[in-house]
Amino acid sequence: MPAVTYLEAIRLALWEEMERDPNVFCIGEDIGIYGGAFKVTDGFIDRFGAERVIDTPIAESAIVGAAYGASLTGLRPVAEFQFMDFIACAFNQIVNVLAKSHYRWGAPAPLVLRGPSGGGVHGGPFHSQNPEMWFVKTPGLKVVCPATPADAYGLMKSAIRDNNPVIFFEHKFLYRRIKEELPNGGGDFTVPLGRARQARAGRDLSVITYAAMVHVALEAAEALAAEGIEVEVLDLRTVLPLDREAIAETVRKTSRAIILHEDTLTGGLAGEIAAIINEEAFDWLDAPISRIAALDTPVPFSPPLEHAFLPKVEDVVREARRLRAW
Amino acid sequence: MKKRPASKARHNGASRPAAGRNGQRPADQERRYRIPDWRLERPQFHVTQKRTEAGEVRYSFTGDLDLAPPPIRESGYLTREKSIELYRWMLLNRRMEQTLETLYKQSKVVGGVYFGLGQEACSCASALALGDGDWFAPMIRNQGALLVRGFHPRDVMMQYMAKADSPTHGKDGTSHYGDIAQRNMVSPISMLGDLIPILTGVALGARLQGRNIAALTWIGDGGQSTGVTHEGLNFAAVQKLGLVLIVENNLWAYSTPTEMQFAIEDLAERAIGYGVPGMIVDGTDACQVFDATLEAVQRAHRGEGPTLIEAKMMRMKGHAIHDAAGYVPPEMLEFWRKRDPIARFEKHLLGKKWLTPAQNRELIAEVERQVDEDRTLAEASPMPDPAQAPKGVYCDPGCHPITLKYGGVKPARRGGAKLKQSEAALHFR
Repeated sequence: MPAVTYLEAIRLALWEEMERDPNVFCIGEDIGIYGGAFKVTDGFIDRFGAERVIDTPIAESAIVGAAYGASLTGLRPVAEFQFMDFIACAFNQIVNVLAKSHYRWGAPAPLVLRGPSGGGVHGGPFHSQNPEMWFVKTPGLKVVCPATPADAYGLMKSAIRDNNPVIFFEHKFLYRRIKEELPNGGGDFTVPLGRARQARAGRDLSVITYAAMVHVALEAAEALAAEGIEVEVLDLRTVLPLDREAIAETVRKTSRAIILHEDTLTGGLAGEIAAIINEEAFDWLDAPISRIAALDTPVPFSPPLEHAFLPKVEDVVREARRLRAW
Repeated sequence: MKKRPASKARHNGASRPAAGRNGQRPADQERRYRIPDWRLERPQFHVTQKRTEAGEVRYSFTGDLDLAPPPIRESGYLTREKSIELYRWMLLNRRMEQTLETLYKQSKVVGGVYFGLGQEACSCASALALGDGDWFAPMIRNQGALLVRGFHPRDVMMQYMAKADSPTHGKDGTSHYGDIAQRNMVSPISMLGDLIPILTGVALGARLQGRNIAALTWIGDGGQSTGVTHEGLNFAAVQKLGLVLIVENNLWAYSTPTEMQFAIEDLAERAIGYGVPGMIVDGTDACQVFDATLEAVQRAHRGEGPTLIEAKMMRMKGHAIHDAAGYVPPEMLEFWRKRDPIARFEKHLLGKKWLTPAQNRELIAEVERQVDEDRTLAEASPMPDPAQAPKGVYCDPGCHPITLKYGGVKPARRGGAKLKQSEAALHFR
């Protein structure tokens, strides 16, 4: 099987799930004949019809509300946000209806909310955000942020088959930039929700990260290996629920931890992970925990400003050297 | 009183209600809309903020206070038997809420109590018009609808008392519960308007599985101001889904009068903007509410799309039990007290000799007995075990089956297209 891009992997997973289960359907803006703003559902309407590839008005609360309503009748909707920044328009439906549905009244909501997030593409303040933490704070949701085509494919399948509302943050910087051959020779496989992945093994220091920053961490690890610093990279893959065991395990192994994310620093996931390390692996630490994240600002538009905003390979290299020398 | 034509034809814009874009446009340059108004009286009220001589800002009221209450409009559908059933639900609705008030005063309720006093006809008659396979989602003043659709007064009481045996086992209170398996009820949330796209989605899910259902929910004169109300009704209209939206115009949104909520005369006019049928009924007339809802349900079953029904009435208590509603001009309450929906319907049934005074007394006594029995059961339920607090956040494997309510989607006319390489997106390289 030829290598597929991150975007093609998502398309393939969605397509195969719609083939496998007629109760899976897509709903969103411009997803039908146009195929979606990023062409994730390109050609789907030809195969599955307008009944299962539903174009909607520009009304995110209606999209999420209708998807939830359909899920109550046993269907498995996959709702697209054109950009994940626009998920804010459906905030109440997500945090007050979907997230609390099972806890409050025992109604499972088997649906997926998916779309492109992340910066590095000069999209500006409303087309570049990483809003995962708005939802990580809300019990009842699952939040997925894949970094590779294989994980995007396997996690999408798990998300669709899961009986809970899953928010699936695709990273638009990765859409057509990375490619890999899917395992299982093109056969169906899933990646479990809530389980991290060791993206690189190392003994000296752990970088705990997810989504596009996994690739920044791997590039830094390569540079640091030349200096004799062996970096382990833990790709969280799912940020809610978090894989506490994997976080504890890598820190107990290396005794030094950098937490890296593209989301802004304050209130970002790094604070939560630092607390988990404190609870699970304090006695193993040989250096303070380091957080690397985006600036506490909106995502700026102009390329030099956005470059200054985003975490970079050199930030990881610098922090790794500092912790190694502690 | 402002005079208006009985047919209430409007001359303010485009064409006919249901025809939408496919309908024939009239040849003249003036488009007409039809908003049927079934009320047998059309009182006008105006509430404004005024400074009193004492320097306080208060609501000042003018309106048609001298009208005698009209008779009940004869139903085209309700039989004697069905009418008595409806009357009984309304009695049960009121008696249950009176008991909730008592429980509150005895400090047995956790939190507040919400009432639908004066709105029992609207809650009960509309719910009774649904078919077995239809869905509904009540708002806080539609506790009568819960009873009509098969819940017991004890369920509502236990919700208010936060008991272990309540439908949510103490996880949530009030009417905030639902039942997918049997009663086709979606749980409401406190935020207003969200149920509208959700019920639209329920109808969408059913249609994908080959069934046209009606999905009924209610919204207040206050709640209809939310953006999600617009999003939901518009989506239902575009998709021609069987949403039945009853706008309960009870004149007060907490302490805010309708004059500060919207600028149009009747909320039913909103329907014009969505290209769906809209109409007005007297919300204290059980027959009007039943007939209007039934016709909307029948439209939904025929796949003809949503209907907006504005039901006019008055919230006869405060927003919740803590609220004495001192801001409401007393003469307004007095006017509506004469239009008590239960007293009106009782008089109607007695007048038609569908109910004898003796039968009526027996019915009332039977309802009181049922509520008392339920109250005993509800009070006997234990409080929940604190060990349950962390449980149930997620639907874990084996905890709930996902049941296809209408047998699942039958993929017809699937195209032969295969997945091909997608065309590159044009932006954000």
